[in-house]
Amino acid sequence: MYAGPVQRLIDELARLPGVGPKSAQRVAFYLLKIPTAEATRLSEAIVEVKEKVHLCRICFNVSDEDVCEFCRDGRRDRSIICVVQEPPDIVAIERTREYKGLFHVLQGAISPIEGIGPEDLRITELLGRLQGNASDPQVSEVIVATNPNIEGEATAMYLARLIAPSGLKVTRLASGLPVGGDLEYADEVTLGRALEGRRVIGG
Amino acid sequence: MRVDRLVLEDFRNYTRARAEFDPGLNLIVGRNAQGKTNLLEGIYCLSGLGSPRGPDSSLVREGAERALLHAEVARGERRIEADLEIRPGRGTRALINKAPAPGLGSLSELIVSVFFGPDELSLIKGSPEGRRRFLDDLVVKVRPTRDGLRREWERTLKQRNALLKSAPRAAGKQVLETLEVWDEALCRAGAALTAARLSVLADLMPFVAKRYEGIAGGGEIHLTYDSSWLTGDLVMESLAHPRGIDQSVLASELGESIEKIRGKELERGMSLVGPQRDDVVIQLASEGSDAGLLDARLFASQGEQRTSALALKLGEFDLLAEVLGEQPILLLDDVFSELDPSRRTWLSDAVRAAGQAVLTSAEPGAIEAAGSGNVIEVVSGQLRAG
Repeated sequence: MYAGPVQRLIDELARLPGVGPKSAQRVAFYLLKIPTAEATRLSEAIVEVKEKVHLCRICFNVSDEDVCEFCRDGRRDRSIICVVQEPPDIVAIERTREYKGLFHVLQGAISPIEGIGPEDLRITELLGRLQGNASDPQVSEVIVATNPNIEGEATAMYLARLIAPSGLKVTRLASGLPVGGDLEYADEVTLGRALEGRRVIGG
Repeated sequence: MRVDRLVLEDFRNYTRARAEFDPGLNLIVGRNAQGKTNLLEGIYCLSGLGSPRGPDSSLVREGAERALLHAEVARGERRIEADLEIRPGRGTRALINKAPAPGLGSLSELIVSVFFGPDELSLIKGSPEGRRRFLDDLVVKVRPTRDGLRREWERTLKQRNALLKSAPRAAGKQVLETLEVWDEALCRAGAALTAARLSVLADLMPFVAKRYEGIAGGGEIHLTYDSSWLTGDLVMESLAHPRGIDQSVLASELGESIEKIRGKELERGMSLVGPQRDDVVIQLASEGSDAGLLDARLFASQGEQRTSALALKLGEFDLLAEVLGEQPILLLDDVFSELDPSRRTWLSDAVRAAGQAVLTSAEPGAIEAAGSGNVIEVVSGQLRAG
C-alpha cells in the first residue's frame, strides 16, 4: 500500500481494461514524475471526452454532436445499414473505403456468461430504424458485421431471426480464409465456414 | 519425430533443468517422487494438448507465475525449436522457431506423443470423461487443424448453460428467443465435434484390435460410441463409413433430442444432452467363451483391463504412425513394474519397434528388458546423464 492519493491512482488505473496491478503501478509512478502541465493535459483530455463525446442518437457511434458524422452525411447510401458491435469496428470498415452506407452500433454482443442479453444491446433502436423514420426512410438491406466468434455469430443469428420476417434483405459478412494465407494450414472451423460461404465464379 | 533436448523452467518440481535425449531408447531412473514422471509430462506438453495428468495450473512450480518449456525437436528433415509458456488462468503461449505460433494446434503439427502411465487403467474402468478426452486429443493429434472444433464446442456449451441457468430469473420470452439461437449453435458445433470423434474412432478400431490380439494371444476387442442422442443405427453406419458422415444429419438428430428435453433443461438450468455426455464403450470377448462381447467396464478382469488399456494406447501409436507417416514419441511411465512377464516381454518388443521412446522406472531392473539406451538419473528435480 502507498500513501492515500498514490494508492487511489493505482486502484483507478487498475480498473482500466487490459491494465493489471503491475502496469497500474508503473503508470502511476510515471505520472508522478512528469511535469504538472503534462498531467493536467491528460486529465483534461479525459474530462473533455466525457463532457463532449456521447453516443449518436441514431446509430450509437461515438460522436461529439447529437448525430454522428455518418448519419449526418447526405452523400451516404441510406438504403443499407451495417450493424457492428463496437465503434472501432466502424473505423475498420471505413478504412476499406468499400462501404458507403450507414452504420448501427449494438454496443456489444449476446453473451450469457457475461449476463449480456438482447435487451442490453441497441437492438430495439435498430428495429425502430428499419421500420422507417425521418433519418432512415428506405432501408432495403442490413449487413450484419458482428465478430466471427461464437458470441458474434449468435448475435447475428438472433438479428436475422428478428429482421427476416419483415422481408428486408439480411446479409452476413463472409468469413473464411485470410488473403495471402495457405489453405493447408487453415483450421477446420474456418475452412468449414469458407466452404459454406463459397460462391460461384466465372460464367 | 523426436525430441533432442528439453529445458524445463519452473515446471512441476523443476526450477531449471536440461535433458538430452537419444533418438532411440531413453531410460529415466530415480527413486520415487524425484520428478521422473514430470519429465515425461514436459515432453507430452510439447504437443500443446495440455497435461495428461491434470489441470495445467498444476504444471507450474509452487510459487512461480508461469512454467517454461524449451525444446529442440526434429520432424522428418526439419529441426525446430519450440517454446511454451504455461500461464494458469491466462492460457498457454507458444513460439515456433522464436516466432509466435498462431495457435496450440500448430504445436501438434510438429510433435505428438503417446503417453502410457499407471493411471491409464482408468481409461477402461474410469469415468466417461477420460475416454472422451482420449478421443478428443486423438482427433487433434491426427488432424491438428481440428484443434478449433473442441474449443468452439466448449465455449458454445458454456454460453448455453449460462443462459439456461439465468432463464428462471429473466423475462421468459426473450430468453426463449435467444435459446433457439444457442440451440442452433450447439447443434452445429456438437455435430462437427461428434463427426470428428466418430471418424477417428473408426480409424482407430482396426489398430486396437490388432494390438489386442497380439497381447492377449486371442480374444477380441470392440469399440463403439455410446450416445443418448444418436441412434445405434446411425452410430454403426457412421463407424462403418466414416467418410460418409453427414454433419447436417447429426445436427438435426441433436436438435430433435434438445427439443424433447427442453422443459427439463430449463428446469435444471443446464444442457442435458449432447457430446458432453457421450462415451466410448469397450467390449471384450474372451477366446473359447460363448458369452460373446461383454462390457469391459463391468466384466473385465484386472489383466484384461490392463491388456485393453495397452491395446488402446499402442493402437493410438500405430494409427498416428500411419497417418503422420512418422512414429510419434512413446512415453511409458512406470509401466513395466505393473506387468506380468509375458506382457512385459511383449511390451519390450513394442518399445524396440518404436522410434524414440522415453521410459521411467524406480527400479532400473524393471526396464532392462526393453534394452539399453541413454540413461538419465533424476534426483529431486536435478537431472544428470547416467
